Amino acid sequence: MAEKAFLFDSTRCTACRGCQAACKQWNENDEEIPTVENGVDAVNTGSYENPPELSPKTWVKIRFAEVERNNKVSWLFTRISCMHCTEASCQNVCPTNSISHTDDGFVVIDQEWCIGCGYCVQACPYGVPHKDERTGTARKCTSCIDRRPYGYEPACIKACPPNALLYDDRSKLLTLGRQRVQELINAGMSNANLYGENELDGLNVLYVLDDSAEVYGLPAKPKLATSNSVGQWIGGLLTAGLVTALPFWFILKRKNQIAAGKLN
Amino acid sequence: MTWTALIWIYLWLAGMAGGAYLAAFAVNRFTGGKNDSLLRLSTYLAIPLVVLGVLLLIFELGNPIRFWHLFTQFDVVSPMSMGTWILMAWVIIAMIMIVSWWLQNRVSEEVAASLAALRGPLSIVSAVLAAALITYTGVLLAVSSQPLWSNTVLLPTLFVISAVSTGVAILVLAALALNAIAGGSMAGLKPALNYIFGSTEWKTPKEMVLQLAETDAIIIVLEIMAMVGYIIWLVTSTSGSDALAVLISGSMAAPFWVGVILLALLIPFALDLTIRGKAIEVKGVLMTLTTSSLCVIVGGLILRWVITSGGQL
Repeated sequence: MAEKAFLFDSTRCTACRGCQAACKQWNENDEEIPTVENGVDAVNTGSYENPPELSPKTWVKIRFAEVERNNKVSWLFTRISCMHCTEASCQNVCPTNSISHTDDGFVVIDQEWCIGCGYCVQACPYGVPHKDERTGTARKCTSCIDRRPYGYEPACIKACPPNALLYDDRSKLLTLGRQRVQELINAGMSNANLYGENELDGLNVLYVLDDSAEVYGLPAKPKLATSNSVGQWIGGLLTAGLVTALPFWFILKRKNQIAAGKLN
Repeated sequence: MTWTALIWIYLWLAGMAGGAYLAAFAVNRFTGGKNDSLLRLSTYLAIPLVVLGVLLLIFELGNPIRFWHLFTQFDVVSPMSMGTWILMAWVIIAMIMIVSWWLQNRVSEEVAASLAALRGPLSIVSAVLAAALITYTGVLLAVSSQPLWSNTVLLPTLFVISAVSTGVAILVLAALALNAIAGGSMAGLKPALNYIFGSTEWKTPKEMVLQLAETDAIIIVLEIMAMVGYIIWLVTSTSGSDALAVLISGSMAAPFWVGVILLALLIPFALDLTIRGKAIEVKGVLMTLTTSSLCVIVGGLILRWVITSGGQL
């Protein structure tokens, strides 16, 4: 099966948040008041952005950023949801093999097998999965895998009025995205770039950005959580060996030898 | 916050258990096997602590009854999967050791000799598994995308040293308690202890208790060095200083400075220095020893708390 992907064009998004509503409707994630009990700590940030964070029941949201450019304030919108990474940290750390890739490249959590340990929540470089206390499992965007059999595109795609969000073969979207970035560069936006082409071995959500990833609040160099696990294990094990051997050897052996005059 | 108190209490218990076993193993090795009773005491302490920790861990799961799914996969890439198997292997092997000690004086001499011969290699495998267990308590956090945990490779180092330090401290407390019982206080417990240990030899020589405290002072120095290295590494890493600010000056600053820097490191180090070279009968030494060990143990818990919670803020 050809690898599929989403393409989000930040220069076309109007932040209507139709995608947020459609996602909640299809996935039966009722809207709720953002409170600590509901898994979201709401704070007034002086922005129209809402809800403040992804949560067990909010799988996609539009993030707002206000950036000053040439003495003018630009109001920027980014889509925040699962990036469906090829090198997926959540999948690597999952201790029960509950997280897998679909044939067309999307990352899904098996709700029947997940034990709710919360490790994917800590591992995701984008802070996407959230532990749902009601189901006892980690939940996030499924890429609407349950709409696929009916030939429907994902709910957020269908809802997007300005076609800022597209769903197609990843190779086609890459071509389209590169063309769009070139147009933006030609129009004078020299920092325009296509995010997701190579990050974490390729994301299945691509971003056309008219400025650098950091300006949009995306990590420029997202790191795989398990990228340094060998170093972490070796560091800890070496320390365990040293701290077990040296202080005890010094107190129990060497000091006795010094006392007995065997060493000077 | 996804990982709550049950997680950091578990990290502390597992660290203390593995650290106590490793400390006793080292003592027994470096004294030519003369401290088998200390190794036995550490194993008797460690396994209940680990089992308690595992129960807490299961209740932290969103679906506790699905915990057995952990045993359907062996995944070297997932620290939690590795931890599952390390824990299970160690509990099984340590249980065999405990049973062999319990039977030691209840079976014929030939059987007792073969039990002792069996314990030799098992105690070494146990030491390797205990080292892997305390390392895993740090690697679990370090293999993540939380900057406070993953921006340096010194978090497992810090947790390992703290684990051995708390392990020595709980050994000292347990040895003092058993020696007090042997010395006449709560003498009614003696038969029960004789029964549990399968022997009347469960006292720890008082010189050994003092040497353990002396060793802990050195371990604390290593822990201070690891803490300094951890902080410097974080400060110089991308977005690490923001994460560290939670501990240094943010919402976790009070428990960090008082609970970790003072209680886990500086106070017990200073206390251990004041009783250096003194006999345990000298007035105040017993009190100082107890206070210092309690500080290390409580400080170790606070260290797990500020790192686990602070990393998720």
